[in-house]
Amino acid sequence: MKLLYSFLKDMRLSFKSFYIYIEIGFALIFVAIMLFVVPENIRPQVTVYAHIDLPESYLSAAEGALSKEGYDITMLSSREEVESEIASHRSSVGLVVSPEGGKIVYDYILQGYESEKFKNVIKASIEGTFVKMAPGFQDVTSVTTIEGDIEKLSTRLNMLPVFLGLNAAFMGLFIIAAYIFLDKEEGTIKAFAVTPAKVWHYLASKMGVMLVTGLLSGLIATVFIAGGKAHYFHLIMLIISLNAFGSALGLFIASFFDTMTKAMGWLYVSIIILAFAAVSYYMPAFSPLVIRILPSYPMLFAFRETLHEVVDLGYVYANVGGFAAAAVVFFLLSNYRFKKTLTV
Amino acid sequence: MIKVEGLYHSYSHDDKYAVRDASFEITRGEVFGFLGPSGAGKSTTQGVLTGLLQLQKGNVSVAGYDVKKPVRKMFNKIGVSFEQSNVYGKLTALENLEFYRKLFDVPTRDAMELLEIVGLDHVANQRAAEFSKGMKHRLTFIRSMINNPEIWFLDEPTTGLDPAIASEIKDIIKREKEKGTTVFLTTHNMFVADELCDRVGFIIDGEIKLIDSPRNLKLQYGEKLVEVDYRKNGGTVREKLSFIDESDRRRLNEIVNTGAIEMMHTKEATLEEIFIKVTGRGLE
Ligand SMILES: Nc1ncnc2c1ncn2[C@@H]1O[C@H](COP(=O)(O)OP(=O)(O)OP(=O)(O)O)[C@@H](O)[C@H]1O
Ligand SMILES: [Mg+2]
Repeated sequence: MKLLYSFLKDMRLSFKSFYIYIEIGFALIFVAIMLFVVPENIRPQVTVYAHIDLPESYLSAAEGALSKEGYDITMLSSREEVESEIASHRSSVGLVVSPEGGKIVYDYILQGYESEKFKNVIKASIEGTFVKMAPGFQDVTSVTTIEGDIEKLSTRLNMLPVFLGLNAAFMGLFIIAAYIFLDKEEGTIKAFAVTPAKVWHYLASKMGVMLVTGLLSGLIATVFIAGGKAHYFHLIMLIISLNAFGSALGLFIASFFDTMTKAMGWLYVSIIILAFAAVSYYMPAFSPLVIRILPSYPMLFAFRETLHEVVDLGYVYANVGGFAAAAVVFFLLSNYRFKKTLTV
Repeated sequence: MIKVEGLYHSYSHDDKYAVRDASFEITRGEVFGFLGPSGAGKSTTQGVLTGLLQLQKGNVSVAGYDVKKPVRKMFNKIGVSFEQSNVYGKLTALENLEFYRKLFDVPTRDAMELLEIVGLDHVANQRAAEFSKGMKHRLTFIRSMINNPEIWFLDEPTTGLDPAIASEIKDIIKREKEKGTTVFLTTHNMFVADELCDRVGFIIDGEIKLIDSPRNLKLQYGEKLVEVDYRKNGGTVREKLSFIDESDRRRLNEIVNTGAIEMMHTKEATLEEIFIKVTGRGLE
């Protein structure tokens, strides 16, 4: 009951202060940018110069597949022409496909851009045509798709996990510490400390406020951007566990300091470190171990999973469970520390 | 109700003690005044007794609970008013009290009634942030009595209040005392102490110098003085003379014999004067 009353009081206080409105306002701004500024899909602006020495039907199959993926394709009549074109256009790729002794030889001239994906598109379309035209045809080279059969999200949806990670999950880290130092400054923490209510009531009610704020901003953003495409139940479970983790970590860090100014540095550093995971999230090619071991790394992919048509439940709930367990550990540690230092 | 033995406290966890080897006992229903100049260690002692500061060294028991092994239930029995008011500025006076009430497991007093006692009922629904210093102080004060505490800790309850309100607060404390509440009262106002306290303790630089009742202290240290106004050479002269001092007594006789006395009255030493005598220091 004391927990409930503390929570209700803290909710009331938070509605009388700015933060919760800032957080919701921020969610709305994010939504507005996503819907009105960012196109649903950003198409790669890459020009392909191709010489395909095969019958017309293969040619048009390859052309169709590439332009569907957003490439700009120009057909040329010889290998030499391809080479000279790409030499003068930096972000272009070259492609020469020719039959040789019953096999098809793919010759890619790439300049480092989306090489694997590009190869797959070409192979798949040309070989697809082979299968259609000559049922008996068997390819000697195998087609490997790098991304497996993972669904591709639209650009907007793909950005949503980063917002959820920073705002719904980890913002509490900072704010909960600020709330505690505010109470310390106002002295109300001392008044609370001389009642029969327990320290963990105090801490948990603050976490409750963070959770409500996190859920509000996370759901606002998701409803507008993903609409019916998100799996809300799993998403909510994930936000609850991650938000609890974020604020418990914030409590733990705050327990080492007696003013916001002193705690600020550590809180800031931890947010920045956690945010690094977003880099690898957008550039899978750059995912060194130091980033993959950050808690925010699996978190982003778990959020993304809840936006897929088919959710990898094992992955999502491994995250829910793991972060919830970590939250409990940090909460217990904070409670232990704050019992001694809350009123000092 | 309160028993303190060999209490030491150092904020820096070294041998710079804010309180040093304090020992005293307060019995049920007693009003104990803790007197001393600024920085003497009064609030520090109250902090340890109320569990806000960790007990580092010594034995302290409050309301039958050993402070070394804190139990939250203890706080049902005690009330604490702070020297710096600490209420939620964003909540109204009434909301502050209503929230606080719910944190106790024992019957609590009606919030509106408490506000009335200190004349805050007309601003019950105003945010505490808009209150004056004295209003916030009164709110902090009444909050401390919401759970009908058996032991009431009051840190400077009258400091910074205008005389009318200060005297109201004094009356409230008197009434609670009559109900049998034990009071630990910290102050550097000797008049408040003299009027309210059964016993007082003098503390200076973290050390308790002396504990006794105001009456005993006056009997022991307060020499009786007599103030005489008499006519001399067309004007009026005032002299302060001791009943104890031999030459003062002779002088008094002389003045009486001249028959020129206009006014004469005896004067008791104040607690403040005794404090200065005992500790060699003033209170401010
Ligand atoms: N939080 C703190 N950290 C470090 N030192 C402190 C702290 N609070 C008090 N002190 C020191 O402890 C000593 C006793 O302070 P305390 O507040 O107990 O005095 P006090 O008797 O209540 O004075 P006042 O009448 O001004 O309220 C002082 O020297 C003070 O500087
Ligand atoms: Mg003090």
